[in-house]
Amino acid sequence: MTGSAIEAAALGKTYGRRGPALDDCSFRLPTGRICAVVGPNGAGKSTLLALAAGLARPTAGRLTVLGTTPAAARARIAYVAQDKPLHPQLSIADTLRLGAELNPDRWDAEFAQRVVEEGELDPAARVRTLSGGQRTRVALALALGKRAELLLLDEPMADLDPLARHQLMGTLMAQAAEHGTTVVMSSHIVGELADSCDHLLLVSGGRIRLGGPIDDLVAAHCLVTGRRPAAELAPHTVVESRATGRGTTALIRPDGPIAADWEAQEPSLEDLLLAHLRSPGTPALLTPEAERKVAR
Amino acid sequence: MSTATLKGPRWVELRLHRTALRTLLGAVLLAAAVTAFLRWGAGAYPPVSDCGSGPCEATFLGFPDGEYLLREAMLKASHALLLLPLAVGVFVAGPFVARELESGAHKLAWTQSVTPVRWLASRLTTAAAIGAAVALTLMAVFRFGAADLLGSSNMHWADRGMYEASGPVLVAYCLFAVAVGTLTGLLVRRTLLAASLTGLVTGAVLALLGSLRWQLVPVTQASGPTTTMEPLWIKALPRGAFMTDSGVTNAAGERFVARACIPDQMAHFSCPSDTRITGWFLDYHPRSHFWYTQFIETGIVLALAAAAVWAAFLVLRRRTP
Repeated sequence: MTGSAIEAAALGKTYGRRGPALDDCSFRLPTGRICAVVGPNGAGKSTLLALAAGLARPTAGRLTVLGTTPAAARARIAYVAQDKPLHPQLSIADTLRLGAELNPDRWDAEFAQRVVEEGELDPAARVRTLSGGQRTRVALALALGKRAELLLLDEPMADLDPLARHQLMGTLMAQAAEHGTTVVMSSHIVGELADSCDHLLLVSGGRIRLGGPIDDLVAAHCLVTGRRPAAELAPHTVVESRATGRGTTALIRPDGPIAADWEAQEPSLEDLLLAHLRSPGTPALLTPEAERKVAR
Repeated sequence: MSTATLKGPRWVELRLHRTALRTLLGAVLLAAAVTAFLRWGAGAYPPVSDCGSGPCEATFLGFPDGEYLLREAMLKASHALLLLPLAVGVFVAGPFVARELESGAHKLAWTQSVTPVRWLASRLTTAAAIGAAVALTLMAVFRFGAADLLGSSNMHWADRGMYEASGPVLVAYCLFAVAVGTLTGLLVRRTLLAASLTGLVTGAVLALLGSLRWQLVPVTQASGPTTTMEPLWIKALPRGAFMTDSGVTNAAGERFVARACIPDQMAHFSCPSDTRITGWFLDYHPRSHFWYTQFIETGIVLALAAAAVWAAFLVLRRRTP
């Protein structure tokens, strides 16, 4: 059994009187995964990543990162916030120097340099003159140069053009494969991360709705069509059902064999996510791997 | 000022505020150069003792003489030094701390290998070292310019500005401004608001302690018998002493101002019912009280600064794990 990159136990975070941003989240992310944190805007994705990065204190529950507290793991985590904060008055070279000065024991200057060079950026250019995508590249170079064991990226690809996205994703995946880095990326665009990730956390309304390896999650569901009312799917957990023509289409979590008069097929990841987002009442599903081991 | 030998967060702070540091260095050098020039002018163009009939002709840059200009400049400089703690506080609260929190760049700093507590400690020590160094340098420049004028009219050791500019209190106020600026920046997280609030708080403490400081050390008292309004206390006032109160007393020992109560009570003055003069009195601080007052005030201001530093760490610890 591999170790846990992130383990959350009844984790909650409330900002002032605005109601909880995260509420009673329990899950486990094994190390070495490329995990997509997916959910609508305001679902709690950024809060989850900020808590893991040690930028805020949870108001409830416990969060363990790389086997310890987020604060103790600080040196082994790299984090890129959603707005890609950088100092506008610094040049790219000085921004990388900042990374070296603040991470004296782990900084890989050559690697950070290479990420910047791949974007054909001038090291003397000031951050304030860069475009959104170029800033993202510099922010990622800073995170990658830290050679962290866990990379937390909040909406990393949002303002990159398709070419840069492909290129940076390639760099990221190569680094992850080579060093066994765990990568957690959030996005509200489902398709963006589907190809690169092997693990999924679906967050909405401050709760974890789905968690586990993508293949397992897809395999646990079935898209069925038949000329019968949805009520006849009773033994199975119906996530969402729709009347189509003279019959019914439903996404279900099968519990036992499916009756022969239903035509079953494997849902796409997008079907799965959208169905769950449209049906907030569905019980959460965590695969055994993504479930938190109960404390002894 | 070389950044080549600096490491870690200190390098980052100095690099981020390189322009401000260069401007500061330029301003200090300029102040020193101007002071040196004015001192030279005061020596080269002394006051003309006799200029016949009519007003004296200008001899130095349109001023009556070089010493006159030096005196005016040093008087203004002593008042300007009062603003130094405010400037320090405004910079620390605004651009140095709050701007980083407002722009979100603290998320960058706090997720490197350096803990937020070390980040704060490094910022505080950098700002304190620079603030104290600037205060000491400017005080030395002021001393150099005003050396021959101290004690003359408007340059009394107890005067506002003169008092602060010639003792450790100014350094203490600058350190206080650093501490309060850091705390306000952390709490408010808005550049302009934090800067304004810090200026306000620093100015208020400076004004408040300025009006309380002459009660920190008990005044020396003198008195004697008299029956007239004649200001006999003048003879009892030692040279260079700072008078805080003087007047006459009646048989019961009640103090009052003779001219305000005799023959009739003037508006806004309080007078005893018995206004027959039996003695005079004088309250003053001798020159020796200067250092006692300086050290007590410095202690108070540093204690306030320490409380603000403690509060700043508390705020940070509550916010981050």
